[in-house]
Amino acid sequence: MVAQQAFAAFSDASVPDVDALDGLHADVWRAHALALAPQRTVATGDALLDQHLPGGGWPVGALTELLQAPGVHNEWRLLAPALARCGTGPVVLVAPPHLPFVPALCAQGLAAQRLLWFKLPLPARSAKAGAASGASATPLWATEQALRCAPVDAVLAWLPQARTEQLRRLHLAAAEHHKLLFVMRSDQARQDASPAVLRLQLSADADATLCVELLKRRGPPLAQSLHLAARTSALRQLLAASSALQQPAWALR
Amino acid sequence: MPPHWLALRLHPVQAPVADGAPSALTDPLTALAWRALQLTPWVAELDGALVLEISASERLFGGRNALLHTLLMPALGPLSCAQGPTGLVALGRLWTANPPTAAQHTMAEGFCMQGDALPVDALPLAALAAARAHLPTLERLGCRTWGQVRALPRAGLARRFGADLLTALDRAYGLQPEVYPWLRLPEVFDAPLELAAQVESASALLFGARRLLAQLLEWLRARQRGVLVLELRWELDARRSNALHLDAHHDASGYGRLELRTAQATQDLRHLERLLAEQLARVVLPAPVLYLRLRTLVTQPLSGESHSLLVDEVRSGDSLHHMLERVAARLGPAQVLCASTEAEHRPERMQHWQPWSARDQAVQYREEKGALYPTWLLATPQSLQVQQAQPHFHGPLVLLAGPQRLEAGWLEGENPALRDYFVARSQCHGLLWIYCDRLEGKDGQRGTGGVGGTDGAQWYLHGVFA
Repeated sequence: MVAQQAFAAFSDASVPDVDALDGLHADVWRAHALALAPQRTVATGDALLDQHLPGGGWPVGALTELLQAPGVHNEWRLLAPALARCGTGPVVLVAPPHLPFVPALCAQGLAAQRLLWFKLPLPARSAKAGAASGASATPLWATEQALRCAPVDAVLAWLPQARTEQLRRLHLAAAEHHKLLFVMRSDQARQDASPAVLRLQLSADADATLCVELLKRRGPPLAQSLHLAARTSALRQLLAASSALQQPAWALR
Repeated sequence: MPPHWLALRLHPVQAPVADGAPSALTDPLTALAWRALQLTPWVAELDGALVLEISASERLFGGRNALLHTLLMPALGPLSCAQGPTGLVALGRLWTANPPTAAQHTMAEGFCMQGDALPVDALPLAALAAARAHLPTLERLGCRTWGQVRALPRAGLARRFGADLLTALDRAYGLQPEVYPWLRLPEVFDAPLELAAQVESASALLFGARRLLAQLLEWLRARQRGVLVLELRWELDARRSNALHLDAHHDASGYGRLELRTAQATQDLRHLERLLAEQLARVVLPAPVLYLRLRTLVTQPLSGESHSLLVDEVRSGDSLHHMLERVAARLGPAQVLCASTEAEHRPERMQHWQPWSARDQAVQYREEKGALYPTWLLATPQSLQVQQAQPHFHGPLVLLAGPQRLEAGWLEGENPALRDYFVARSQCHGLLWIYCDRLEGKDGQRGTGGVGGTDGAQWYLHGVFA
């Protein structure tokens, strides 16, 4: 009798009530649902992307990794709306591949006075092995310094050569100081393990969309990739008007 | 209010203080005097100790105990303290309680009042500096205490031992005013340090410099100033042949120097230490160093810090100025850039990335209408290959929109910009911003040619829509 009751109690417990799981810690999530983000998020400005990200946006205080083919840089399209609304503090760019064009970023809401650029000094010609490893640590060091600074809102770092343990260190610094941290890497790192809570692969499509593949998130894997409009509305209008001329501009000459 | 005097004495520390400990000052007694000068102007160094008169300041600083606490906490080292109605009495009680010749005992950090109960007449003569030269004679006279000497006839005393002893006794009993060479707070901090051992590497200089910085902090607090420019000098061992070395830090005079600048006046010791560490990492010492010297070149009165009323708004981490200075110290000042915009037509001049340290505070940020501009700009336009009159960049480029004609810079003469900008699509790189330079077209079409794309025109990649 007692054993029966005990068994009944056990079987009750082994099939937990669905509602009972809701009281669990926010770091625990059901495999078929997106995690409830324990930390703050900043909306990406794309309803479609927000829908598929845990917490509905870029996680604050965690590492987000963007992978792209070498030489391709489509990050502003994804990040600029979120950076524009994440606060009023500085946004630090560590070793960007080109000059960020301020008028265009201003037009997307990112004020010029918020931008800070850490340009890396050119490596010395006669770099020895030791000096070379020191040079590769410099961008990481600069990124971490930016993360540990109180007024900074977001840090964007282009770190093609970062290793996993170095990224973990950056992730912990971001978590400690509650910063948006985006690390841009080459898609050759796709197979490597990463401490990032969110990993995305970006590729530009031929037909005016940006193809975003969610490699890692707190939730079920996403089989299909997302297709986002790759342009700002003004540019879209310009291109629509141009193509409305029927003939491509090239043929006009 | 009757005058009230304190006498303070620091015990020398036998064991060298561990480097980095907050009490590792180069000259603790001077630091103590600087601290005392914040409380009262009557501070003098007398007979190896400090005497100060505090009766006038007691009320302002919240009573005698509160004032003592301000003066002695945090402790600069083991010290003893005595008080009395005159400076000489306080000093006499101090020396009576722990004579200078006695074995020095190290006390725990803190202080204790000593010998307050001793009556003035019973103080031993050895505790009076003016009487020390005559101690054997006085002893043979049967005088061991101040009271006994004072009972002697004044005229005879002055003839036998000189007027100094009589004056000292009068001052001790309050019959004559006590006038000493009062200490002043120096206008400029300038402290030397002799290193315990020869230092061969520049980064090891940091340990000595840290002690000087701790001393500097006491001076800054006393003057309520923050430091803007500091100078660290070191003297190279002159016996070495390469002491007369010449480089960025050494001027062939046997001395080396390094200037430390901060954008905001600061009293933050940790920040100065980190900056100094970054700077010293670049110094190569040609010869060992024995002497260091730290001097303030520019300081500024420090206003108080305003904190937020709301706790939530306080973010963890260090301030922006400190972080950027540290990064600039390692990467180089020209590598930390901030943006400003300008009203210009040429894209490369619309924005200006300037060193953050040299930024123009008064710059006006204009919100440009730049919705049709690319988000990445190439620092130097990249020349494109042209195949069959079509520009190529990792494959052929398809022109989607344009031309947007630009004619600017002709006033400046040398190199006017005559360009037709197009938005082009590349198979793998997305949308690109390219232009056709109309200057480099055929001679017959120079500057007046038709819309870009004439044969032989030069195409450039100038931006990427990201």
